[in-house]
Amino acid sequence: MIPLELYILLASIMFTIGLYGLVTQKNGVKLMMCIELLLNSANINLVAFSAYQPNVNGQVFALFSIALAAAEAGVGFAIMIALYRLYGTIDLDTIKAMRW
Amino acid sequence: MYADYAYLIVGLPVLAFLLCLFVGSRLPRGGGFLTVLATFAGLVLSLGIFSEMYPDKIIHQSMPWFANFNVGILIDPLALVMLLMVTFVVTLIHTYANGYMNGDPGSSRYFAEAALFTAAMLGLIYADNLLQLFIFWELVGLCSYLLIGFWYRKPSAAAAAKKAFLTTRVGDVLFMAGIILLYNNLASLNIALKPGEYLLQFPVIYAHLTQIPPAQLTLIALGLLGGAVGKSGQFPLHVWLPDAMEGPTTVSAMIHAATMVTAGVYLVARMFPLFYAAPYGLTAVAAVGAFTALFAATMGLTAFDIKRVLAFSTVSQLGFMMAGLGTGAAVGTMAVGVAMFHLIGHSFFKALLFLCSGSVIHAVNTNDMREMGGVGKYMKWTMYTMLIGSLSLAGFPLFTGFFSKDEIIVIAYEYGVAINFLPYIFLVLAAVLTAIYTFRMWFTVFTGKERSDYAKHESPSIMIIPLVILAIFAFGFGIAAQGGFYSYLDSNFGHYDVNFNELAVIGGHAAEETKLAGEPAAEPLASEAGEGAKAESKAEPAEPWYIQILPIIVALGGILTASLFYWDKVKKFDPSLVTGDKDPLRKLLLKGYYQHEIMTAWFAETIVYGSALICNVIDIKLVDGWLNWLSALVMGFAQHVRKVQSGVVQNYITALVLGVVVLVVVITMAKEVGLI
Repeated sequence: MIPLELYILLASIMFTIGLYGLVTQKNGVKLMMCIELLLNSANINLVAFSAYQPNVNGQVFALFSIALAAAEAGVGFAIMIALYRLYGTIDLDTIKAMRW
Repeated sequence: MYADYAYLIVGLPVLAFLLCLFVGSRLPRGGGFLTVLATFAGLVLSLGIFSEMYPDKIIHQSMPWFANFNVGILIDPLALVMLLMVTFVVTLIHTYANGYMNGDPGSSRYFAEAALFTAAMLGLIYADNLLQLFIFWELVGLCSYLLIGFWYRKPSAAAAAKKAFLTTRVGDVLFMAGIILLYNNLASLNIALKPGEYLLQFPVIYAHLTQIPPAQLTLIALGLLGGAVGKSGQFPLHVWLPDAMEGPTTVSAMIHAATMVTAGVYLVARMFPLFYAAPYGLTAVAAVGAFTALFAATMGLTAFDIKRVLAFSTVSQLGFMMAGLGTGAAVGTMAVGVAMFHLIGHSFFKALLFLCSGSVIHAVNTNDMREMGGVGKYMKWTMYTMLIGSLSLAGFPLFTGFFSKDEIIVIAYEYGVAINFLPYIFLVLAAVLTAIYTFRMWFTVFTGKERSDYAKHESPSIMIIPLVILAIFAFGFGIAAQGGFYSYLDSNFGHYDVNFNELAVIGGHAAEETKLAGEPAAEPLASEAGEGAKAESKAEPAEPWYIQILPIIVALGGILTASLFYWDKVKKFDPSLVTGDKDPLRKLLLKGYYQHEIMTAWFAETIVYGSALICNVIDIKLVDGWLNWLSALVMGFAQHVRKVQSGVVQNYITALVLGVVVLVVVITMAKEVGLI
C-alpha cells in the first residue's frame, strides 16, 4: 500500500502549481485550469484520508466537489466566451472596464 | 355656511393658476376667463362670509402643520374688508386685462402669474399666524417679480424686476428677524397653550404682548416695520416701485397700486397692538409715513411718464396710510379704521387711474405725457372716468379720497397736539402737491393740442366697463361707507383678548392721551370695542374749525394751481415761470433727488459691491481655504493608499497567500518558543 504521505505530497505539489499559476497567469482559460488544479488537489486529499480511515464520507464529498467544479467550469467558460466576443481577447490585464 | 368654504377663496385662484399654466395656451385669450371666474368666485364667497359675520362675528379655523406651527384662516373685520376690496378690484382688473393683454404671445403666462398673485395676496390677508402670512408675503413678492419682468426680453424690465426683488428682500430679511425675535420671546414665556392654539397665531400674540419686555417689543416692531417699508414702498426702500412700472399696466394697477403694496400697511394694521405697545413703534411708523408722503409727492410733480406719476402718487398715498396708522400713538385703535379706509378708497381710485392710463397708453402707444395732449377728444369714457379718479385722489369734496385722506390729516393734527406737529405739516404739504400733480397729469393728457400722431379711438368695451364700475366706487365709496366702516373696523380688536389700556402704559402713550383736549384720562382708548369707539367719535370735534376745513382748501387750491399752469383754457402762467429747465430745484426733482446716483450708483455699486468683493476674497481664501487645504491633505494621502486596491484579483491572491504564510510561520515560531 502506498503510504499516505505520498498522496499528501502529490496533493501539495498540485496545489502549489495551481496557486503559482493563479498568481502569475494572465490568460483567463489558464486561470480556470489552475483553479481546477486547486480543487482536485483537495479532492485527492479527501479520497486518500477516506481510504486510510475506513469511512466513505470523504469520497462522497469528493464527488460533490467534482460536480461543483464542473458547474464552475461551465459558468467560467461561458464568461470567457462572452469576454472574447466583446474584446477579442481573454487577456485579463487588458479588460479594465470596471477597474483601473 | 360660506365660512366652511373660506379656503376656496385661495384654492380657486390656485386652480386657475395651474390650469392657465399648463393648458392656458390652448384656451381662447390665454385662459384669462378662468382667472376672472376664480377671482369672482372669491368675491362672491367673501360677500357671503360678510353677510354671515357682519356685524360682530369672526371666523377662525386652524389645523396643525408641523412642530409649533399651524395653518389657519382668520377672518375678522380687518381681513374681511381687505378680502372684499382685493377680490373686487382684482376681478375688475383681470376683466380689463382680458382686453388689454389680448394678442400678447405670453398672455397665458400672464394670467397664470396673475392668478397665482391673487391666491397669494388673499392667503396673506386671511392667514391666522405670522409664519403663514410671511410665506404668502414672499409668494406675493415672487409674483411681483415675475410680473414686473413679464416682458423679460426688454432689458429695462428685467432690471426693474431684479431691483424690485432685491429691494423688497432687504425689508423681508428684517421682517423675518422680527418674526424670529417675536417667536423667541413668546416661546420663553412658557405659555400654557390651549388645544388649537399656536405661538404665532395673532390672537395668542395679542394676548401675551404685555408680558414681553418693552425693549424687545420695539425691536420686533422695527423689524416688522422694515418688512412693511419694503413691501409698501416707503422711504428708503421705495426705489423699486416707480421702476416697477415696466410691467404691463394691468400689473401696475393690480400689484403696484391697488393690492400688493398695501400688504405692508395691512401688516402694520394687523400687528397694531404690538406697534402700540412698543415704545416708539408708532412714532417710527408715523415718521416714515409722513416723510414718504411728502418726498414722493414732490417727485410726482416733475415726472413725464404717466405711469411714474401714478407710481409716485402711490408711494405718497401709502405714506399717508402709514402716517395714519402711526398717529395711533395719539388716537388709539381708531387710527386703524382711518388708515384702512384710505387704503380701500385708494385702491379703488388708484386702480381706476392706472387702468385709465392703460387705456390711454393702449391708444397713444407711449407712456410719455409730452406726446399725449388732447386725448380727451377721442376717449370720452376714459377722460371722465379718469377725472373722477383724479378728483378722488386730489381729495375733492364728496369724493372718496376727500373723506379718507382728510380724516388722516385730521387725526395727524390730533397727533400733532399730543406729540409732534411735523407729520401733520408734512401731510398737508403732501396733500397740496397731490392735487397739483394729479391735475397736471390730467390736464396734460386730456386737454390741449395733440402733440404727436396717435390712434384716435376709444378702447374696447371690455376695458371700459371695469373703468366705469371702478369710477362709481371711486366716487361713491366714501359717502356710502364712511360711518359704518369706522365703527366696524374699530370693533376689530374687540374680538381678541387685548387690553389697550395696559398696552398704552407699556408703550408710553398714557401720558400723551391725557394731553388730548376734552378726553378724560380714564377712558382714553377703544378697549371695549363698540362703546369705546362711539365715545371716541363723539369726542372727535376737538379740532378747531380751520383744521377741519383746511383739507378742502388744500385740495381746491391744488387743483386751481394746476389748472392755471396746465389747462389751456384758463392758462395764466407757464410752468417755466416757476422752474426753468436749468433750475437746480427742478433738476433735483426730475432726477428724483439723485436717488439713483446715491442709492444705486454710489451705495449699491460702490459700497455694497466693494464690500461684497472683500467678503468674496475672505470667503475664498479663509473660509474655503482651510477646508480646501484639509480636503487636499486627505486626498493626497488617499492617492497613495488607493493603489492597494488595484482591482487585479491576482494581487489579492498573492497578498492572501503571503498573509497565510506569515501567519503559519509566526504561529509555528510561537509554538517553538512555547508561547502557545
